[in-house]
Amino acid sequence: MTTQHRDLLTETGFEELSERQLATPFIRQAVPKATDHTVAAMGALFADHDREALRDRGAAIRDEVIADLETHLVDLVAACEAKGVVVHRATDAAHAREIVRGIVRAADARTVVKSKSMMSEEIELNPALEADGVKVVETDLGEYVVQVSGDRPSHIIAPVIHLPREKVRESLSAVAGEQLPPEAEALTAWAREELRGSFLAAEVGITGVNFGVAETGTLVLVTNEGNARMTTSLPRVHVALMGIERVLPRMEDLAVMLPLLTGHGTGQQISCYVTMIDGPRREDEPDGPEEQHLVLIDNGRSALARSEYADILRCIRCGACQNICPVYRQVGGHAYGWVYGGPIGAVLTPLLRGDEDGGELAQASSLCAACDDICPVKIPLHELLVKLRRRRAEGDSAPRVEKIAFALWSRAWSVPWVYRLSGPLGRLTLLPLARGGRVRRAPRPLARWTSGRSLPLPARRPFHRR
Amino acid sequence: MTRRLDAPTELAPGADPLAAFAAGVTRSAAGVGRVAARDVAGAVMDVLGRHGARSVALSADLGPHLDAVAAACRDAGLDAERYDAIAADRARIGALDATVTGCTAAIAATGSVVLGAGAGRAAGLIAPLHVCVVRAEQVLGGLSDLFADPGRFASSSLTALQTGPSRSADIEKTLVIGAHGPCAVEVLLVEATA
Repeated sequence: MTTQHRDLLTETGFEELSERQLATPFIRQAVPKATDHTVAAMGALFADHDREALRDRGAAIRDEVIADLETHLVDLVAACEAKGVVVHRATDAAHAREIVRGIVRAADARTVVKSKSMMSEEIELNPALEADGVKVVETDLGEYVVQVSGDRPSHIIAPVIHLPREKVRESLSAVAGEQLPPEAEALTAWAREELRGSFLAAEVGITGVNFGVAETGTLVLVTNEGNARMTTSLPRVHVALMGIERVLPRMEDLAVMLPLLTGHGTGQQISCYVTMIDGPRREDEPDGPEEQHLVLIDNGRSALARSEYADILRCIRCGACQNICPVYRQVGGHAYGWVYGGPIGAVLTPLLRGDEDGGELAQASSLCAACDDICPVKIPLHELLVKLRRRRAEGDSAPRVEKIAFALWSRAWSVPWVYRLSGPLGRLTLLPLARGGRVRRAPRPLARWTSGRSLPLPARRPFHRR
Repeated sequence: MTRRLDAPTELAPGADPLAAFAAGVTRSAAGVGRVAARDVAGAVMDVLGRHGARSVALSADLGPHLDAVAAACRDAGLDAERYDAIAADRARIGALDATVTGCTAAIAATGSVVLGAGAGRAAGLIAPLHVCVVRAEQVLGGLSDLFADPGRFASSSLTALQTGPSRSADIEKTLVIGAHGPCAVEVLLVEATA
């Protein structure tokens, strides 16, 4: 039922994926409409507040963690263990999957309920658990629709932003075995009832973690639906999956990070449910899991923390850069081929998966830097994109023809007389193709370049002769 | 924190915390009523009656109000149990019409209530209706006031901020109230006794 993400990026690539998305009119209509709504709500929320100062504080808190990640992790682990949490550390995705499979097997679980987790997508957990014969149920409404329709999430906060309501109705009706009413209210109510049974039956609940507080060992989960709280309250075992960078030093940092996350993610003042977990159920408490696990997942992050790309680890997964990105708004999240779409995906995917698979994504940007301006923790996303473009150009994964062409060009223009000659020569070559001073349809290999724009003829008299 | 934090989740300087809290609760699409301590049981019964709730669980954190509310439920012929007595019975808690809890704190700026594990981890969201009794002295200004004391998080395995009924906008961004948590939340703010 769960689709593998991995192959799409390597086998198909951004160019073809984005063309497919562009051919789907709903995406170009619905995505900008939905994301505009969130951006406007954010603007209204911060109208009477100093958003810049809050972002500065958020960035400083995140930088403090990244600069000394291991120390903060050691503190978090100690604080969690003191509260009775079993802490596991996973080096990569396969290791993390093995740890979770082990916990689920030991719990003798037949049903696992899950609350939306990007980390779970990143380590591709569901297929691994399903292969063990476990029934895995996503409980975030959007993720549930994704799961039952064999689709993939296309936005960090709004996983089915790419689906029209009629499609959602079709998918849910297929599960219900009857035609459900078309209204969003009725579909949500049906899913609530359907998923209630899974919540009550599941032996294990799996969630992500929005923040882990090193000072107290508190795991923070933010949702509007209440599913993370259900997932961490009803099943006998709770497994929390956390990227190692999602640590905050102190409890008081939440007063900065929560409004940044919620304000930029959905434009709300606060999400309906902020669930803070401090270990398993205690003796004097009426309910809650008997076992509490925390799986800290590295998967390339500790190396990133030491690299020139460390700023990307500030990310708190709010989705704001997706909402504002002119490329994402046209092509949607699926074009990026893996878990993370938009500017965050264009940076994170090549970093986590390498240029061979993801390097192309760094080109999927106009470098307009709207993402830098909206990012709640001031990640210089467009600078990171430029760095990644340079890395790819210097590495082995860029197309050979492209590299040779640019090398020749660079050589040629370093020689003054060749440079002087290139203008008139270029003009002469392109003249037969031009209409009204512009080339609108060039032959290969320039054909793709002119498919979306026109090329002006080089001037009759170049600047250096004026 | 040394500098005053300027964030949407902080109480504006000079604002009245109780008035701000009541306004915040209303903004979150929940109901709010201000009652005197001696009228809590009556107010709870009004809310339960208005929503037609029959099967009700009462959390231990109602404290001094627990016995009075339990008695009022009995008198009204409702099927009321203590939450901690039925928490292990999944079918039972899954079929509740309403839960009535206290809280450990409330946030004026956001209209949020803060529940601890003492109420029951699932108590605030398992039923279609959640009634939360907040004492005036429990109301804090903003989030920074809640997080200023890390010791608060040592005494309970759960600290949950809840703001209004549950919601989802996953389907075509249409806001729907009542996702996995309650479809309705009613807050009763108990005025400090003079």
